[in-house]
Amino acid sequence: MALNRKVAIVNLTTGEIDIRPIPLEVRKAFLGGRGLAAYLLYKYSKPGCDPMGPDNAVIFSAGILGGTLASASARTDVMTKNPLTGLLGSGNFGGFFAPELRWAGFDHIVVIGKAPKPVYIWVHDGEVEIRDGKNVWGKSVTEAQWAVREELGDPDIKCAVCGPAAEKGVKFANVMTGIKNSNGRGGGGTVMGSKNLKLVAARGTMDIKIAHPMEALEYDKKFIEQITSAKVNQTMGELGTPFIWGATNSWGGIRTNNFQYNQLLYADEIEPENIDAWSKKSFGQYNMAACFACQVHCRARYRVPDTPLARKFGVANNYDEGPEYTSQGAFCSEPGCTRLDTLLICNHLVDQYGLDNLETGSLISWAMELYEQGILTKKDTDGIDLRFGNDEALIEMIHHIAKRDTWLGNVLAEGGIRASEIIGKDSFKYLIHVKGMSNLHSDERATPGLALNIATASRGSDHLRSRPAIDLYHLPEPVLRKIYSTPIPYDGPLSSDHTEYVGKPWQVFWQENCYMAVDCLGICKYHTTFLGATLPNFEEWSKVLYYNTGLEMSPEDIWNVAIRCNMVERLFNLREGMKKDDPYKGEILAERYFTEPCRRGAPDVIGKYIDKEKFLKMREEFYRYKGCDEDGIPLPETLKRLGLENLDDEPSRI
Amino acid sequence: MSEEKTTAEILRDTRTYGQVRCMNPSCITRITPPPGATKVKCPQCGSEWRIFWIKPGFPRVKGPVWETSQKIANEKLAEISKKEVK
Repeated sequence: MALNRKVAIVNLTTGEIDIRPIPLEVRKAFLGGRGLAAYLLYKYSKPGCDPMGPDNAVIFSAGILGGTLASASARTDVMTKNPLTGLLGSGNFGGFFAPELRWAGFDHIVVIGKAPKPVYIWVHDGEVEIRDGKNVWGKSVTEAQWAVREELGDPDIKCAVCGPAAEKGVKFANVMTGIKNSNGRGGGGTVMGSKNLKLVAARGTMDIKIAHPMEALEYDKKFIEQITSAKVNQTMGELGTPFIWGATNSWGGIRTNNFQYNQLLYADEIEPENIDAWSKKSFGQYNMAACFACQVHCRARYRVPDTPLARKFGVANNYDEGPEYTSQGAFCSEPGCTRLDTLLICNHLVDQYGLDNLETGSLISWAMELYEQGILTKKDTDGIDLRFGNDEALIEMIHHIAKRDTWLGNVLAEGGIRASEIIGKDSFKYLIHVKGMSNLHSDERATPGLALNIATASRGSDHLRSRPAIDLYHLPEPVLRKIYSTPIPYDGPLSSDHTEYVGKPWQVFWQENCYMAVDCLGICKYHTTFLGATLPNFEEWSKVLYYNTGLEMSPEDIWNVAIRCNMVERLFNLREGMKKDDPYKGEILAERYFTEPCRRGAPDVIGKYIDKEKFLKMREEFYRYKGCDEDGIPLPETLKRLGLENLDDEPSRI
Repeated sequence: MSEEKTTAEILRDTRTYGQVRCMNPSCITRITPPPGATKVKCPQCGSEWRIFWIKPGFPRVKGPVWETSQKIANEKLAEISKKEVK
């Protein structure tokens, strides 16, 4: 059955492997995926541990619906204590790894300790082995995956792999799968590298028995129709996620030249339509790829254009996928570059090095502003003219960060906060971050709800943990009320105006629970209330879960699981030192959000900035919805209600 | 399992076709571009947008008409600066 998959606890120091079942009551409390990973991280990482040391844990988790008949159930969460932030690190990728892991008999692989030499973990049909990693260590993301397939003699093996950047200890290295599916933002790759763990390889033939197969198939048709008929997904199937960047840049919601502007002007060459045209030129009309069980097909395939720049860096005609909208921000608007070949080269490089594109592009853009301000000079950059809009400098800096082979590359590889301590002067004030993690390229100065989201997201500045993205659609209040009053009633204020402050804390709270739930199930966020207002959420999930696994949970039950799992993430952060107003580890925006108004974009955006007083009130209201006090600390009655009052003291339930 | 329509299914009736929204955030007027049009001007706020067609009958805003948007933005910036000087 779908619920009989297991947890493997792998100790790389001792070589011990402990395989345990997942009790039903644990399933009901945390479901799986990111939610159960949060619980496992809390229990298996030592409080206050060095994220790069053996006491940290890194957890690979499939969603509870992975590999079933549920649509788009491809997601894998990787959770750890993030070396970049010292707080919760969590990433999520699609592709084909999660279903394979479940077919191999496992939902979660918990890795602790540190191997004395490079290794990889081989998971197959109920068994787990630690194997010598000499054939995969030192290889790029793609090469390592093919090397292990060759070594084990199976081309269908799926991998969660770290790249050369992780081996060098770059603090924002991803876990990757396939060509470009990136488990970013969480530092999972960095922690793998610190443990001498190059990859987890999975291959399985253990069927997952569907609880109610005919009903599951029948319902899936309805579910898929709801998803594929949405305009947002039809757009994504044509243009991929770059359409988001295009739409946002149209009105001025894209941070540009680090944070000096909020719109990249005359950016036609890197607009989604132009990227799509290049992808089609590379691969014809069937240029879009998809993850397991997904009908949207949002991932473009491309070859790096054969331009002088690509030839100079030795990547002309190389194959890759994407770019996603995050790469457009990281390698176009933030560093002020507008060339398509630059975007595609940079995207390719970070994929092969296994670097987080957002962090890499953001830190280079930050360094560009420091260079402009005279805080960094050519002496610091090893002669690179690090001005905004210098495509070649941007590409060179990606190499230097990944290899840590220049002073500045090595400093930036430590992440923004540590780098600002080394660089000194006023460098910190130019850093656009929350909890030590660089912000996405979106500029939230005109959107208070989105600003609250990035400030309070559990893994640091982030759009995929609680963003009320549909706030930008100005939906009529009755429509908003329908969405945000399900599955539990809400009769407080809601506003269609995204520049407003009222009602936003509830929207952020609701989205936080929506995204946690979908991450527990292992379904893609593009299949829920993220970019589309008419996509499935709690009500549909209750049915999908029952038909596929037999687990009976109402929409309210799933909502409560999400609240519980989000609270475990908060408790982890509090345990590791988060304090709400701490400029380094707190739930507060960079000061520039409160002092520098937008200077570009649509007329109603120009002049906008975040009102600090109103922002702090929003944050307090958000804390109330979570059952926390004004400092964001959970109240005892909240913990009791969620069954978390003994989390620190109880032995692990797995 | 309940056979009643879910909230998401009910909200499908609110979907619109053949239109784009003016991307000026507090305007967001619905505009119906003529078939094949490559540009459209908002009748409400004067913003001008470049149009891309996902397929016939399915337009989307590709981006602003830069010259128009820059002109409007500069006027707005000047207005704000004037207020600040006062």
